[in-house]
Amino acid sequence: MSEKAKNAISGWLIMLPALILFGFFVWEPLFESVRMSLYNAKGYTLTEFVGLANYRSLFASPDFVIAWKNTFMYIVWSLIIGFIVPIVIAVLITESPILKSVTRVAVYFPNMLPGLAIVMIWAFFLKPGDMGVLNILMSKIGIKPFTWLTTKGWTIPLIVLTMTWKSAGSTALIYMARISDINPELIEAAAIDGAGPLRRMFSIVIPSLFGLVKTMLILQIISVFQILYEPLMMTNGGPNNASVSIMMQVYRYAFDQFNYPKAAAVSVMINIVLTLITIVYFTVTREKEEAV
Amino acid sequence: MKKVRTILCTLMAALMVFAMLSGCGNSQPSSSQTEPAAETPAASAETPAPSGEKIQLTLGIYPADTDEALIEAHKVYMENYAKLRPDVEVIPSYYKYATDNFIPMAEAGTVPTIIESWYTEPQKLIRSGYIRDITDILKARGWYDVINPSIRDLLSADGKIYGLPRDGYALGLMLNVELFEEAGLVTDGVPNYPKTWEELAQTAKTIKEKTGAAGICLLAQDNAGGWHWSNIAWAYGATLTKDNGDGTFTANLNSPEAIAAMEYTKSLKWEYDVLTADPTAENWGTGFQQLGTGGAAMYIAANDAVEQPTANNGLPVDKLALAPVPAGPGGQYSLSGGTPYVFASTATDDEVNAALDYLIVMGKAPEVTTDARIGLENDAKYRVDNGIPVIPRFPCWNNPELTAVENEVIEANKNVDMRLYQPYYDATLSDGNLRMEEPGLTQDMYAELTKVLQAVLTDESADVASLMETANTNYQTLLNDAGIGK
Repeated sequence: MSEKAKNAISGWLIMLPALILFGFFVWEPLFESVRMSLYNAKGYTLTEFVGLANYRSLFASPDFVIAWKNTFMYIVWSLIIGFIVPIVIAVLITESPILKSVTRVAVYFPNMLPGLAIVMIWAFFLKPGDMGVLNILMSKIGIKPFTWLTTKGWTIPLIVLTMTWKSAGSTALIYMARISDINPELIEAAAIDGAGPLRRMFSIVIPSLFGLVKTMLILQIISVFQILYEPLMMTNGGPNNASVSIMMQVYRYAFDQFNYPKAAAVSVMINIVLTLITIVYFTVTREKEEAV
Repeated sequence: MKKVRTILCTLMAALMVFAMLSGCGNSQPSSSQTEPAAETPAASAETPAPSGEKIQLTLGIYPADTDEALIEAHKVYMENYAKLRPDVEVIPSYYKYATDNFIPMAEAGTVPTIIESWYTEPQKLIRSGYIRDITDILKARGWYDVINPSIRDLLSADGKIYGLPRDGYALGLMLNVELFEEAGLVTDGVPNYPKTWEELAQTAKTIKEKTGAAGICLLAQDNAGGWHWSNIAWAYGATLTKDNGDGTFTANLNSPEAIAAMEYTKSLKWEYDVLTADPTAENWGTGFQQLGTGGAAMYIAANDAVEQPTANNGLPVDKLALAPVPAGPGGQYSLSGGTPYVFASTATDDEVNAALDYLIVMGKAPEVTTDARIGLENDAKYRVDNGIPVIPRFPCWNNPELTAVENEVIEANKNVDMRLYQPYYDATLSDGNLRMEEPGLTQDMYAELTKVLQAVLTDESADVASLMETANTNYQTLLNDAGIGK
């Protein structure tokens, strides 16, 4: 047996425990839910094979198409509102000459609060009528109360805003780590050559972030795709389905109706869509990354 | 090299299969537990009987650790119970039913023998197969025939019954008497409650003008919105689901009556402006909060929830009143139902019987014994001590003897002026007043109605007729998909 093969064997052996755990806790449930989506069930107990009937009946649900549409709207808005913010924060903090660590803690702080508490705080803040905190503040400067979350077109952007408020800081930390990896000599050299802060940012910092940006983008899409508790708590999908998300459909099938096969069917569809998005995205951007 | 790789690949694949199988292996015994044949011996084998083969009763209806007053009451029940059934070991096992943990617990076989559920749940639980059929046991005790027939229907499927009622309820209109007083709407200590929905809009407007509080709290956050709203629809003469009598149903949300009822609801927001700031954030619980804390003067609620505005939200016990649901052009109806006790599918006959005996001791069963009377008295005392109105239960048992004892206990522990409640009881006891929930896919219908409510309460220009048309189409699609539409 060659040296290489021996190495390979020991490599596999080292990975073995992780693979077993991974297989048991990730793949097995995954296959199980694919299987479940093809059956009828009583509780978790599968009763009869029904093929794609669960999938077909999803399309009969009046909320199904809307939920998909909304989910994509969440993604669009999260890219508009939430994607640039952490990059800007990271660059600004890195460039800032003073109070660096204080700002770093400050932007990370919302991330330390429990997610549900944040959602409730924002729900109070954005409450319509005279009792909402934001409306009270606005009334001080003579602006009439607004209906915020209960206004159809505003619901999703506002929910995305609260998500950004919570998570931008932690994403910024990741960008900051990458920026601090950039060889300082490069930046110094550029400065000596007369490049100002803006020029340095666009010619050095941003290009070296590209690989990370690409990963963060897909991670963000995947995580926003699974948005659940924010709309569940803030609007329960309302008004009139304006903020219902596809994960809320999973939740409703599973826990409001105890219809686990249908919940599994929606989950499988989400899985397929996300896998497709990821494959397409990495194929499209591969060339560019190699160029960098 | 290639060979080694092949071997490794095979090895890994075998390993994966093994891992998957071991996963399956784990889930097998638990899923077989739900099969009726296997479950009984499994359950008794799992629960070791320590001293002398005692029957074990895990009591999911035992109060939470924080509820000290109620725990005191249960200590008395347990003492009395020990005398009645020395062969039973009672294991307090507080469980508050929740949809996200019930099925996993049931699958693991850890659901207590007896638990309390919600009014929306029985049919769903029956379908899931995790609660047990108690028909024979109830028949043997003679309880089956004395359950209020309409409540019995709620808890039954295919002629089998799966639970028994803790309380019955009928929706009424709860009033915050403090706000009525402040608005000058009280005569001789009794609030002038609105008799019709039109009157309600005026009353609500007066209250809003005089006190600043919302006139009425309507719900539009979750299915409870549609549930409450069906009362308004009935008053306007609507029937929301047509029962074709052959097991099929036809959606009927777009009838002129239903549209009129929704137009009225819309006017409460945009014409009268008497609702709370954001009905789309109001649910069953926040409604009581609004009523109890003076945020709203009226709220659709039932007699079995009087502790909500009072003990839980601080309204003084004598400032709560309960009036009938207002009438409309189509009549006056009260939606009625019951809160059930249900039993784990793994419970044996002995365990169920032990649990039913505990209900006797609590005074929640249709049997009058000394213990039952003590149970009723303890319950009444608990209410008096905690500022909860002591008022008659809604009749869930047709047992005159029990009703008589109940009334005696209530009379002896009276802590409210019954004039504040009498119109409600008079109305609900009148012929043809009580109405069960709409048949068909009731919760799905509520969901559709709630969406319409959200639309009309947040958008002044919402087109009620077309929204109801959409809701109707959606609901019909769901009925068809479930194979019960026509």
